[in-house]
Amino acid sequence: MKQNKSVWLLMFLLVGLLLAIGATRSGSAKTQQDRIDSITSNLACPTCSGESVFVSQAVAAQAIRLEVARQVSTGTRTDDEIISYIEQRFGGQVLLVPRATGLDSLVWSLPVASLIISLWFLIRAFSRSRKNKPSAPSAQDEKIVEQALAESIAKSRQS
Amino acid sequence: MLSKYLVKIVSGVVALILVLLLWVLLISKPSDGLVARSPLLGQPAPSVVGSTIDDQPFELQRRKGSWVVLNFFNSTCVPCINEHHLLVDFANREATNENGAELYTVVNDDSDSAVRDFFSKNGGSWPKLKDDNGTIAVAFGVARVPETWIIDPNGLVRLRVTGELSEGLLEAQLDKLRNEFG
Repeated sequence: MKQNKSVWLLMFLLVGLLLAIGATRSGSAKTQQDRIDSITSNLACPTCSGESVFVSQAVAAQAIRLEVARQVSTGTRTDDEIISYIEQRFGGQVLLVPRATGLDSLVWSLPVASLIISLWFLIRAFSRSRKNKPSAPSAQDEKIVEQALAESIAKSRQS
Repeated sequence: MLSKYLVKIVSGVVALILVLLLWVLLISKPSDGLVARSPLLGQPAPSVVGSTIDDQPFELQRRKGSWVVLNFFNSTCVPCINEHHLLVDFANREATNENGAELYTVVNDDSDSAVRDFFSKNGGSWPKLKDDNGTIAVAFGVARVPETWIIDPNGLVRLRVTGELSEGLLEAQLDKLRNEFG
């Protein structure tokens, strides 16, 4: 049992470590085109539904792509600053990935909170069911069963 | 016993969230007709440097001191065509005013020749700004035309009207803004 627990703990630690490495790892240097593609993939086309600026052929999306390309080529703004510039003009609905601040942060925190609460409920339910397991029969119970069996065998012999 | 408390707590939290949502719904201001919201309202107007279709240089920041009206336009867009006579009336009215507003058309995804043809047929002698890359449209967050923006003499954005103008709307809004901001 103890060994089982430590295996689980080790697995959780390993998963956590891998997630942390994955989240903080910086990839190879991005070209300007990589930056443009990455920024426009995170922006929603303001005149179409469900399409990113990266894939959309709408006039507004093309204009945003050109503006992103222009700002990337000048090199004065970071990717986040360019996204903020577009957001300030077109509003928060232009962001395909909601921000982790203000009311938008609920999009990230609510699923985690509901997962934790659900896990807690599950653990509670399992531990309760374990507690309610039927206990071993007492000597008296065994005696009653033996007596009943003997009676039924005697009855069947008589008949 | 604990589960009873838990049910009460969870119900309380859900009720609180519902009340909060209702409160947000109640306090949020309804859209005022065509007059739209924008994060730019009350902010300095974006920098616009370019030229007109007649190759005259234009810089929005140099228009400070005057009320400026920008109308984003495309000659094939039906609401733009429908509202054009209202813009002509507006331009005529402002031309008679000593401190009249300056009206500019921002050409959105259209050719210079098509715009010239349209204006020669339908009137309107105000300057038409080129926006070939959509830089001005993106700077103002314009996704669809027509849109009309008013910028005050201090260079602050004061009004955004999305869609086709209704009769007298631009005049009424500009007069209101003049009273409010001078």
